Amino acid sequence: MTADLEAVEAVSEILSRFAAGGTSVEPGFELREEGLAAAVDPSRPATVRAYVPARDPVAAEAAARQAEVALGHLQAFGLRPIGELRTRLVHEADWAEAWKAHFPVLRVGRRLVIRPTWRRRRPRPGEVVLALDPGMAFGTGLHPTTRLCLAALERLADEDRLDGARVLDVGCGSGILAIAAGLLGAGELVGLDTDPIAIEATAANAGRNGLAGRLDVALGSLPSGRGPFGVVLANLIASLLVRLAPLLRAELGPGGRLLASGIVRDREAEVRAAFEAAGLRLVGRETLEDWVVLAAEPAG
Amino acid sequence: MAKKIRIVLTLQLPAGKATPAPPVGTALGPHGINIVEFTKSYNEKTADKAGQVIPAQITIFEDRSFTFILKTPPAADLLRKAAGVDKGAAQTGRAPAGRVTREQVREIAQVKLADLNANDIEAAMRQVEGTARSMGIEVTG
Repeated sequence: MTADLEAVEAVSEILSRFAAGGTSVEPGFELREEGLAAAVDPSRPATVRAYVPARDPVAAEAAARQAEVALGHLQAFGLRPIGELRTRLVHEADWAEAWKAHFPVLRVGRRLVIRPTWRRRRPRPGEVVLALDPGMAFGTGLHPTTRLCLAALERLADEDRLDGARVLDVGCGSGILAIAAGLLGAGELVGLDTDPIAIEATAANAGRNGLAGRLDVALGSLPSGRGPFGVVLANLIASLLVRLAPLLRAELGPGGRLLASGIVRDREAEVRAAFEAAGLRLVGRETLEDWVVLAAEPAG
Repeated sequence: MAKKIRIVLTLQLPAGKATPAPPVGTALGPHGINIVEFTKSYNEKTADKAGQVIPAQITIFEDRSFTFILKTPPAADLLRKAAGVDKGAAQTGRAPAGRVTREQVREIAQVKLADLNANDIEAAMRQVEGTARSMGIEVTG
């Protein structure tokens, strides 16, 4: 049922009397900071859901009626309006397995294949298969910013620019980009992230791809103190790329290549200007949906 | 990473005992996130709070990765503890299941202020008091 935020605690309590497993609350929210942050919108009602076993339809019906009665009293207690209790039958599913359907084997570019760890895939000739366990760290391979970066990496490999190169992945998330670079022929790999969950995920995913010894992952940001690098990967967001531009430039060795992703089209000009000001020359650009990846090299 | 947010939702779950069954499966399933990783991680983080309900506010990103933070226990749990009762009244409006003072309501409102989306302590207290009354807990003093 829907409820004013003020009544959510009370509604949730009433519904939880009949649903031992707990309740879910979906508030209205608005996105901020390029979609990186969300703030609850108190002017919009929240949806509170609870689940009662329907094996015994009579008991389920009785629970719904009792909840309705208890909910009916709420407004007398000075809480703002709530909606009507709505019920519907949800079919039982194997919840521990069903979510996996959202993660297919994914082909990116010509050669790269992202394989969720529970799926099988016999590599075809020339294919590079990356095993990944999607979880709490960003970089499942489903997002355009990740796919753009992967495709750009593949092109670098095709131009023989990745062979043996030292690669830095700034904001490595699940580790997907650094791992792809390693599988495509890069040498030493360094991953940085400010989120401890990402560090764990990157290390675990590196192990799954036989790269545990080659990918060094550390908590932190730029400067890495490990440069110079032949390739720097930065799948961040526009505002962060603008701020980090001089530091990204400083990580690159002569003839090094920066791949910067996570840029919405509207902010592309801003990032390009910051790169230019930091002494980076644009050498490539690809787009997918609303997103842009920029390739840049040290100028001069 | 370019972590664009798809949705934010809160699950009120028994600490240390979350399973992929509803409400977890039904709430998170349609968004296609790794439910097993969520329950494992939630149970690890709340293992020391067994017996309480600890809400998890989950942020799901556009690529189906996710993160979550733990919130303060529901007002109802804090009220039960303050009133020294196991459950609310079986039926609203009958004999009171327990009593709390206005001062206790204020303390609970203070604890919950950040999570209640209330503008001030008075508004938070009104929410806590409304919840108390719907549970059959009388507010005195």
